[in-house]
Amino acid sequence: MTFRTPTRRLFLGGALTTATAGLILPRSARAQEAVNFQLSWLHSVQFGGSYIAQDKGYWSDNGLEVSLLPGGPNAPVEPPVVAGTALVGISAADYTAAAVNQGAPFKIIGVAMQKNPFAIASLAENPVNSPADLVGKKIGMALANMPVLEALCAINDVDIDAIEVVPTQYDPAPLVQGQVDCLLCWATDLPVAMEIQGIDNVTMLLADHGYAVHSQTYIATEDSLANRRDELVALMKGEVMGWQDYKADPAAAAALTVEMFPDAGLDPETQRLQAERQVPLMFSDLTEAEGFGWFTDETVAANIETLELLGKPVSADLWDRSILEEVHG
Amino acid sequence: MSGALAQRGRLAARLPGGALIALLLALIAWEAIARLTAQSFFIAAPSAIVAHMTDHAGLLWRAFAVTLWAAVRGFVWGNLAGVLMALLVVLLPRAERLVATLALLVFCLPLVATGPILRVLFGPGEGPQVTLAALAVYYTTFLPVLVGLRAAPQGWFDLVRSYGRGRMVALREVRLPAALPYLVAGLQIAAPAAFLGAMVGEFTGAERGLGVLTVRALRALDLPATWSIAVIASAVSVLAFAAVGWAGRRLDLAPPQVLLASPVEARQSRWRGPGEALLALVVTLALWKGAMELFALPRFFAKRPEDVWAYMVSGPGAEAHRAKLLGAMAETLSFTAPGYVAGLAFGAGLAVVLTLAPRAASLTMPVAIALRSIPIVATAPLIVWALGRGAAGTIAVVAVMIFFPTLVACLHGLARTPRAVLDLFEVYAAERWRRMLGAQLPAMLPAFFASARMAIPAAILAVTTAEWLATGRGVGALMATVASTSDYGMLWSAIALIGLVAVIVHGLVGALERWVLSRTNAEQLAR
Repeated sequence: MTFRTPTRRLFLGGALTTATAGLILPRSARAQEAVNFQLSWLHSVQFGGSYIAQDKGYWSDNGLEVSLLPGGPNAPVEPPVVAGTALVGISAADYTAAAVNQGAPFKIIGVAMQKNPFAIASLAENPVNSPADLVGKKIGMALANMPVLEALCAINDVDIDAIEVVPTQYDPAPLVQGQVDCLLCWATDLPVAMEIQGIDNVTMLLADHGYAVHSQTYIATEDSLANRRDELVALMKGEVMGWQDYKADPAAAAALTVEMFPDAGLDPETQRLQAERQVPLMFSDLTEAEGFGWFTDETVAANIETLELLGKPVSADLWDRSILEEVHG
Repeated sequence: MSGALAQRGRLAARLPGGALIALLLALIAWEAIARLTAQSFFIAAPSAIVAHMTDHAGLLWRAFAVTLWAAVRGFVWGNLAGVLMALLVVLLPRAERLVATLALLVFCLPLVATGPILRVLFGPGEGPQVTLAALAVYYTTFLPVLVGLRAAPQGWFDLVRSYGRGRMVALREVRLPAALPYLVAGLQIAAPAAFLGAMVGEFTGAERGLGVLTVRALRALDLPATWSIAVIASAVSVLAFAAVGWAGRRLDLAPPQVLLASPVEARQSRWRGPGEALLALVVTLALWKGAMELFALPRFFAKRPEDVWAYMVSGPGAEAHRAKLLGAMAETLSFTAPGYVAGLAFGAGLAVVLTLAPRAASLTMPVAIALRSIPIVATAPLIVWALGRGAAGTIAVVAVMIFFPTLVACLHGLARTPRAVLDLFEVYAAERWRRMLGAQLPAMLPAFFASARMAIPAAILAVTTAEWLATGRGVGALMATVASTSDYGMLWSAIALIGLVAVIVHGLVGALERWVLSRTNAEQLAR
């Protein structure tokens, strides 16, 4: 049982532990800097590019030894990044904005999902194809996501009082059982699960209806940006290379994920479908031109507008492209 | 050991045919219902569960081993802590209020707050799982053991004293033997709780284990997987429960004594109560701040007492924060109270029924244990489906969470009826219900009140869970929402308020307990 204490002083302790471990474990000729990378959920192909980077040595070639820490239902990303136990975390612009408004010193240094994965999922016989279809429907969602629905309604002039919100757990059962007409969920998980179970369903991506919020964003503290730039650049370089490989062959990324985590209970077919579905969210004309993870003043401005509607006002300072510029430059 | 449970083994041996047929019929009915409702994804058929278990035997086995090992370590540490705290209170009676308050407050800490902190403290690995398993069991061991340490006749203490011996001898010769049956009850309650604690602990970012697989299965609408995990969790809990009971019977516990003690008069100083309360408050605040400073937890997510004070009282927006939190709390309490009473009544009532009709125990106990050992995230959807998202569903979730410890404690309490008293009823050929009312129920009272105190934090946690998963109202929904938006000021304010409410209710139940026990079981109040 390792006992980690997250003070700056004890970073040294962490480094020492790693050094000791290095004496026992076989190591490459180059000194490896050990960092933790906090993922936002359980291991799955959602982080396929990172597994490729790990597997192909894109990090170790750059002198970085990365531990990928899985998330979970009660594992928010922000605390370990603030505490310094993780150098970088996977968050989303709305979560990061909320944390910054509460005093967390975060910057967004890269954007994996250009299009937000939030979607309204419904059954094919009672579909929600546009925001207007929500009127008179029962929607199942976590109450924490209420601002998301409010923003969608505001952008599309839909009367939110005409929608009945039912608080549900994050699983497809309430929809399939007919307790609700639709679900607010990620396009890449619950709809995929229903597809695999043979349930005909329809997804409406919020991003296609004006909801512009960067997702699966890379966050780091201002302190790390000032003092640990080399490690940040090395980590993001590995990410960019890994995700480029992912784009070339999502099915291989899915296969690698299943192979790397035999204890995670992953279904190969589900992983393959999910890998395919997240490609259009992560890669666009913008990333084609500028490279994976990129963002521009325009995409940031669109985010600021939506975040304002979400009640999370932020300035463009929240985004910092300097690491990406070094990676791609 | 309770008579009902002690007879289980023998009953099963005597009636294999009937029990087997009943089991077979139940399985057939289960299979039929599952197949008929397959389109709505409620219930997995036994055949599908078996098929899933065979297909994924390796995966399930590895996950089970990981979770079990964390649960076992948590079980050991948590019970050790519970027993040590009870010993401390008996040896230093003046420390009782303080120790009991701190134990209660720590038990009230919700997973949304402890999860991230434990993960930051321990880093990757199984530290949080073990800790959460330990946290899930220490309180339900502490309270019964404390009752047991006091369940000895006053005359024996006088005897020890007349030989010029002190507290340690009284502890070794009188108190510890008296506490053993209560320890067995505590350990039996702890067995499913530790396993559940380890599973839920995996929600804080674990690599593997049955908890991880549960989350995955729920989202994938993989019913056979969800139910396979539920079956495994229940089976291991039933086995652990039975093993502890078996070990308890092997200890050859002394038959219960007639506990005579003279009624206790409340003769304490007017300042003692408020003084102890103030001390508990000061120590709590000091530990809260001290621990966070010691581990240098960032203020961003580990709010200190003064941060909560600023958020709720002196800082900007305090009035709005207060209104929001108090409104949510009022709503939560309106569901907690009926659920608490229902769970206690159901648990104690079932204990009485099972004592009067021991044969029913062999069918009832496994179901009761299963209900307690499956994560509420897996059972809540079924309860919601059956009872809806309104008051009935919430109250049912609370009752499910607290009736099991109550049932076990009360069964053990009933079994502590002194032999001599039962013989007396026998001599007069008294009816069973008369014996229950006159002899067994009074013997059960200390155990019942211990479970009434155990159930306070459990009921609050259950309501907040139901609010988070199903109703979307009250403090539970508020805590889930603010945790996902990094509003840790509100989260810690909610925790502080929950702690305060728990302590107040605990005080009220304690007062009622003293009032009743001073008339029926005065030995519990002798210091």
